[in-house]
Amino acid sequence: MHWRLPSANDGHPPRPSGARRAVLPAAAMLLAATLWGAKVKPSAPAPIVPATVDKPAEYAGSETCQMCHEDIFNAFRKNPHHEVETNKKYKFDTKACESCHGPGSKHAESTSAADIRNPAKLKPADADRACLGCHLNRPTQVGRINGSHAKNEVACVSCHSVHKNGPNGLVARKAAEVNQLCAGCHTDVWASFQQPFRHRLPEGAMSCVDCHNPHGSFLAHNVQTAQANEPGCFKCHGDKAGPFPFEHAPVRLDGCAACHLPHGSSNPRMLTRSDVRFVCMECHSNLPTPTAAANPALGSVPPAFHDLRAPQFRECTTCHQKVHGSYVDRGLLR
Amino acid sequence: MRYLAALLMMAPAFAQAPAAPANTGQTAAAAQAPAAANPAPAGEEWFTGGIDFGYRFRTNLGGSGPTYQSIVDLGAGPRLIGFDFVVQDPKKRLFDRLVARGSNWGDPYNTAHVDVSKRGIYDLRFDYSNILYYNGLPSFANPIAPGGVDEQWFDVHRRNTSLDLTLFPNRRIVPYLAFSRNSGSGTGISTFDQGATDTFPVASVFRDSAYNFRGGLRFELNRLHVTLEQGGTTFRDDDSAFGATSTPGDRTTTLMGQTLQLNGLLQAYGIRAHSVYSKALLTANPFSWLNVYGQFLFSEPKTDVSYQDAATGNFVLLSSLLFYSGQLDNAVGSANKPHVSGNAGLEARPFRRLRILASWTTDRFHDAAYSSLAAAFLTQTASSLNTTTVLPDTQTVNYSRTQTDLFFDVTKKLTLRGGYRYEWGAATVRSGDTSQIGALESGKLNRQVAIAGINFRPIQKLTTNVEYEGASTTHAYFTTSLYNYNRVRARARYQVGASLMVQANFALLDNQNPVPGTQLDFRSRDNSLAVNWTPNGGKRVALMAEYDRATLRSSIDYLLPPFLTPSVSSYSDNAHIATSMVDVNIPGFKGNAAKLTAGGSFTVTNGTRPSRFYTPLARLSVPAGKHVYWNTEWRYYGFNEQLYQYEGFRTHLFQTGLRLSR
Repeated sequence: MHWRLPSANDGHPPRPSGARRAVLPAAAMLLAATLWGAKVKPSAPAPIVPATVDKPAEYAGSETCQMCHEDIFNAFRKNPHHEVETNKKYKFDTKACESCHGPGSKHAESTSAADIRNPAKLKPADADRACLGCHLNRPTQVGRINGSHAKNEVACVSCHSVHKNGPNGLVARKAAEVNQLCAGCHTDVWASFQQPFRHRLPEGAMSCVDCHNPHGSFLAHNVQTAQANEPGCFKCHGDKAGPFPFEHAPVRLDGCAACHLPHGSSNPRMLTRSDVRFVCMECHSNLPTPTAAANPALGSVPPAFHDLRAPQFRECTTCHQKVHGSYVDRGLLR
Repeated sequence: MRYLAALLMMAPAFAQAPAAPANTGQTAAAAQAPAAANPAPAGEEWFTGGIDFGYRFRTNLGGSGPTYQSIVDLGAGPRLIGFDFVVQDPKKRLFDRLVARGSNWGDPYNTAHVDVSKRGIYDLRFDYSNILYYNGLPSFANPIAPGGVDEQWFDVHRRNTSLDLTLFPNRRIVPYLAFSRNSGSGTGISTFDQGATDTFPVASVFRDSAYNFRGGLRFELNRLHVTLEQGGTTFRDDDSAFGATSTPGDRTTTLMGQTLQLNGLLQAYGIRAHSVYSKALLTANPFSWLNVYGQFLFSEPKTDVSYQDAATGNFVLLSSLLFYSGQLDNAVGSANKPHVSGNAGLEARPFRRLRILASWTTDRFHDAAYSSLAAAFLTQTASSLNTTTVLPDTQTVNYSRTQTDLFFDVTKKLTLRGGYRYEWGAATVRSGDTSQIGALESGKLNRQVAIAGINFRPIQKLTTNVEYEGASTTHAYFTTSLYNYNRVRARARYQVGASLMVQANFALLDNQNPVPGTQLDFRSRDNSLAVNWTPNGGKRVALMAEYDRATLRSSIDYLLPPFLTPSVSSYSDNAHIATSMVDVNIPGFKGNAAKLTAGGSFTVTNGTRPSRFYTPLARLSVPAGKHVYWNTEWRYYGFNEQLYQYEGFRTHLFQTGLRLSR
């Protein structure tokens, strides 16, 4: 029995395997992996479309599906994916169901679940292939290669509901619903938002996707971008974007998270430390010494000579208030 | 917002359902038309949605008002709690569908969203948010500032508005235009600094705004997509500060027998910035086994600075022991920061069981700037001292990263992941005034990261995922940066039955920097367990409960001023966080059910800054008619800090109102 995964690319001639290997990087690793893989007993891979020796399954049309799955069919009519049923661009007009589930004639005859592809039961990567068959070539997916969701095999259908009926289409849109969806997996992150100093997510004033791009971003942690290649933090905090004549290096090099815990903190202003002076002093203690060559970290600005026991010097930003960058003063004082 | 309101009010007028008697034939025809062509099938309401409004009462606030405002800031009065509606035009005149929603109008953070679309013609999205940033924590700034004034206090509204229009002239080319505005305005107290001798709290007015315009074309082909975008921004910052009354500042002692004080101040920033940026995005699947991704991003923001201040009082220039009674500063400056980023990658499936993700990223910028400051000091003998300082500044950063991940399907239920990431970079930044290594200092980044992971789905109802990163670093930019670290994330989700789902998360980050003089020892751990119980599909009862235990400890060497004594900065934070919510449906209201919700979140942290934060709530929603619900809610906010008792607060909020829906 042979198994294959149909995709939107079906119908195009397959490329010779020799050519494939020639263009791939890390050929040695591939070869090793292949040899290892070849020894593994092929144990029922993705049960997609069984191409049995007898008649292969054919497209039956959505109306055939409707006969048994009328509730899904009716809900699907109000779903954005219903465009596949009517728009010839996608080449699945009148057979939208089978654009994801594969040819369904055998399933229609046998009514057996084994005779139809169910993306919900596929491996995440295989389920994603069904989605990306249409959705890959969109700007949404351009950061996919960097995204932690793709790397941790979080399938598209983990967040998107393919059949669902509703005004918001395939995925949650209201801030509170988006947050609930994300918190379903990222329970530890959501717990951080229960701390006193946090962004206003529990109140529904913001949502996770205001800061993160769940499809992936070239910035770490799927952080959204603003103005082409600046961190998305500057979408709201535009006054911190600069450029400043006097920059504070960590803001640019390590980002906001160098000093802030953006999800929530028990420290005022979501700082990483309970007192401002420790946020500063932990970097500004890197005085050049004879061992400087072994410790080439930035931050050789000495920690001044203020007496930190005096209340007026306890919080450095009382005076160095332009800590994100200054337009006027090298010492970030104004 | 007025235009938005007008638009929302006009929308239903364009989408009125046709009067039934006059259009019987038409309606019948519509009913017989293929449902596939109609986004609003016959029989569906042309207008659905609801509006939530009510009144909130707040009991007397116990404890610190500024802290309450900084953390919660919910007040009393009438509220438009939320609205959401969908308008579908059966005739599809101006639009097929209009979706609008908003929340928290009357509260310090409110939002609105409108989405209008006409299939195959256009898609228009509007977003608005207005979030109040209030922060006036007494413990944050100088706790003994004169008159108890918190020098780091601010009360600023940040507003975001965006409008996106996408057109669909044909199947392959999609042009789009977008506009967004971000602004901040408000008041606060900042400091006027006189070097190390004294700082004076002064009233401030914050006012900045940034406009962003962009437009582009998307070319969407079967095997290739390209997006080309050009954008531009303008930014202005007109912050100002003033002081009209005499203040002695933070200094509590005299200096050489003289009392320093500020009698008057006018300070004004005039910042103007603009930027152009370009984006080119690419995705393609040239072969069935290969997807290709790429993006090129370029921006070049520029800033022009104009700054003036005029201060009178009694000040001192410590470097020349000059006491003076007035000061005039005039500064101009400029900064230019070309910024280039690129990212390319591929996803290949050369064999059935093997998937490869490989990517390369680079991010490069330099900031070339100068600032010229002319200062005039008016002495008590009427003579003056004028100085002019021109300071160049520079910052150059080159960062690159490459990563390859291999995914191998051992079985249908088990996928193994192995990967490698290499990060490298170099940065040159200005060193401090008192630096002993010259005007510039350089840092490097060199980090190698091994990656491993497992995805295991032994049964359909159980999924587990483990991800590990282990890094070895020879150079890092900062002493607190990631260095030699191990990071583990593990997740497991089990659908026990039809009504019970259990999820457990574990995260660990262990970061060590053994460099002498740094000795960073950082470890954070997070364990969480969540349970969702919805017996009988949640028809009567639904329960969500979660417990999270997060611990963090960090120690690092530092030099304690004024004698630069070697010391250790130790920080710890141990948090217990529990959240739960139970929904109980109470039948017996003429076919509808009332709903009782109770729960909340409870946070207890111990460590360097121990605190308690409780937010329990209870909500009752009772049907009062076919389209009317009466909602009542109680909330309690309680906050306590062990080390800063004066910052605690507690209050009860009661809210009652109606939800009208159709």
